[in-house]
Amino acid sequence: MSVEKSSADAFRDLPLETRSQQQAVGLKSVVNDRLKLYHRGEANGKRFLELLGRRLTRPLAASLAACVHCGLCAEACHYALARPDDPTMTPVYKAEQVRRLFKRHVDWKGRLLSRLRTRGGGIPDDAELNRLKNIVFGTCSACRRCTFNCPMGVDTAAIIRLARGILTELGIVPEGVFNVSRDQWETGNQMAVGETDFLETVEWVQEELRAEMGDARIEIPIDRPDCDFMYSLNPREIKFDPRSLANAAKVFHLAGETWTLPRFGWDQTNFGLFSGDDRLGAEVARNLYQAARRLRARRIVISECGHGYRSSRWEGYNWADYPQDLPSESVIRTLQRYLRQGRLAVDANKNLLPVTFHDSCNIARSGDMVEEPRWILKRVCADFREMHPHGRENFCCTGGSGLLSMAEYRPLRLEVAQIKAGQLRATGAKLVCTMCHNCVDGLGDVIKHYGLDMKVVQVLDLVTSALVL
Amino acid sequence: MSGFLHFLENEIQLAALSFLLLIYAMRLIWLFRLCSRREKTYAAGSAAAGIARSLLNIATPWSMESTRRHPGFYLQFVVFHLGVTAAITLSFIIPYAPQLLEQRWRVRSLQTLIGAALLVGLIRFGRRLVKANLRRISGIDDFLSLLLVILFFLTAIMAAPNRFRQSEWPLVAFFGLTALLLVYVPFSKIGHYLYYPFSRFFFGRQLGHRGVTAKKKNLP
Repeated sequence: MSVEKSSADAFRDLPLETRSQQQAVGLKSVVNDRLKLYHRGEANGKRFLELLGRRLTRPLAASLAACVHCGLCAEACHYALARPDDPTMTPVYKAEQVRRLFKRHVDWKGRLLSRLRTRGGGIPDDAELNRLKNIVFGTCSACRRCTFNCPMGVDTAAIIRLARGILTELGIVPEGVFNVSRDQWETGNQMAVGETDFLETVEWVQEELRAEMGDARIEIPIDRPDCDFMYSLNPREIKFDPRSLANAAKVFHLAGETWTLPRFGWDQTNFGLFSGDDRLGAEVARNLYQAARRLRARRIVISECGHGYRSSRWEGYNWADYPQDLPSESVIRTLQRYLRQGRLAVDANKNLLPVTFHDSCNIARSGDMVEEPRWILKRVCADFREMHPHGRENFCCTGGSGLLSMAEYRPLRLEVAQIKAGQLRATGAKLVCTMCHNCVDGLGDVIKHYGLDMKVVQVLDLVTSALVL
Repeated sequence: MSGFLHFLENEIQLAALSFLLLIYAMRLIWLFRLCSRREKTYAAGSAAAGIARSLLNIATPWSMESTRRHPGFYLQFVVFHLGVTAAITLSFIIPYAPQLLEQRWRVRSLQTLIGAALLVGLIRFGRRLVKANLRRISGIDDFLSLLLVILFFLTAIMAAPNRFRQSEWPLVAFFGLTALLLVYVPFSKIGHYLYYPFSRFFFGRQLGHRGVTAKKKNLP
């Protein structure tokens, strides 16, 4: 496969040395060699290849070696479907940019053959690494739809994440990725919410909730030991959407639950999943697991977040080499238990607008929940409609894999969102429900850009509005 | 049978096959030397069931959207690979069990199957040439491998009657090409079958463990 001009080349002039990186020089995470800065020079290409060899695992090697270029993956990818005449949008092309480096420089078989070749395939220079950055960060939402449709079982999303991780190690990342990684390294949460801000917001939410419910006993406990569960949040809930925390607190109170938030280690999101940085992934996940252990919680409950659920429930334990010692579950499963046990009374007629459900990629394809949110929605909504396709075959909200933080790729993201927009429009629903904060923003962008007559809500919103008090 | 054809059917084939197996053994050693992280999480489903389901996807075209939407593509896949199996089997039957080809219906059956696979090979080659996107994501090996397999089918059809007394050249062409393929396969995409069990195993193990592709355990 030739290295032809990619649509990602439109971003080739993006600088490698960003202002954010220049300003980060003295930061603790930089000094401690956790957050990596870009250094101009020839060594980057060599280092890339060295890390490619070192980070190769058996599953990755199998995925890199097994592709037969059948092209079936193209029909699974919303980028390729939206740009059917552009081969550089196909998953196979994107993965091939990593694969050819692997074959040429890492795979002994490829190295053997490369001695016979005379041209091309040298050590990548910084411009080529920049180009690779734009492909792996800017033209793939790592939704894994292609993986599920590959007859060979090639995990293209894992290959993309491998490349992202190596580029992150070299500081060759989009500015947004750098900024969020910096915040999560420096503060323990990806939106840099300080402890005072966190405690004040929680207190404010508690006061509002008490006033709304007329019940002074409602609590949002912090650092309470020996609870049934420790609740973990997406920082977006503290910074932009405290209603989500209020809804959770209301439901937990009505269900008679004993729960707590930790003072530190409450962030269940993990930018390590998106940047491919396993060390950041391990650090953030460990904060969460250790907070639950410190508080002697009996389980960890993860608020509605796709990548947060995948990171905290699945990947985090592996990144942190931390054998799971407590059950962890999504709040959706907690809600399902309450409804099953009759701890919450709901009336579906309180939600009369037609509702459809958008499955988060990280939960449906890399997690384990498809039926649970539907089980709930069918009990709290009068008119539930499936979109097509749905479940494990659903299309990405287009904001996955950190793309929402990468403003430079937004025009392309919104262009290929036509697939999602068509899917949403066909349902005729007025509300699209999702169990992911990232999808809330991603879908919100799609709805606005394509002028759709619908709003995004989350499962907790609909459960709360269906409550019979 | 000439001494050359005998040598080609036996010693050369065995040498080429040994070379292929040697390279495969080296590939497997390389693959097994790489680490494969163990899951640290509580299982939601069954890794074993996930692996079984993943490996069986070859026989369950309805399990993937891509093959569900293109049953013709799946049928081509089945015919093509049955043809490959038949042609490889023929390369062992002719030197080691030629009596099996004494019955005409067996020869005809093999020729029909391989002929159908040849047709699929030509369709695939044409598709790769004509479809701009597919052409542009293809490398030299994508075309060369397919071309070699098409020629392999063609020579297999001609060699199947095993009439070396009438003319040896169909057999020389078939075994010559077989030997060439055996040497070329480990370095080409034709060797994908070596990796197939691995990639599907890892896919199934992870997603089965997580309860994505395998039935979930009853949770409290």
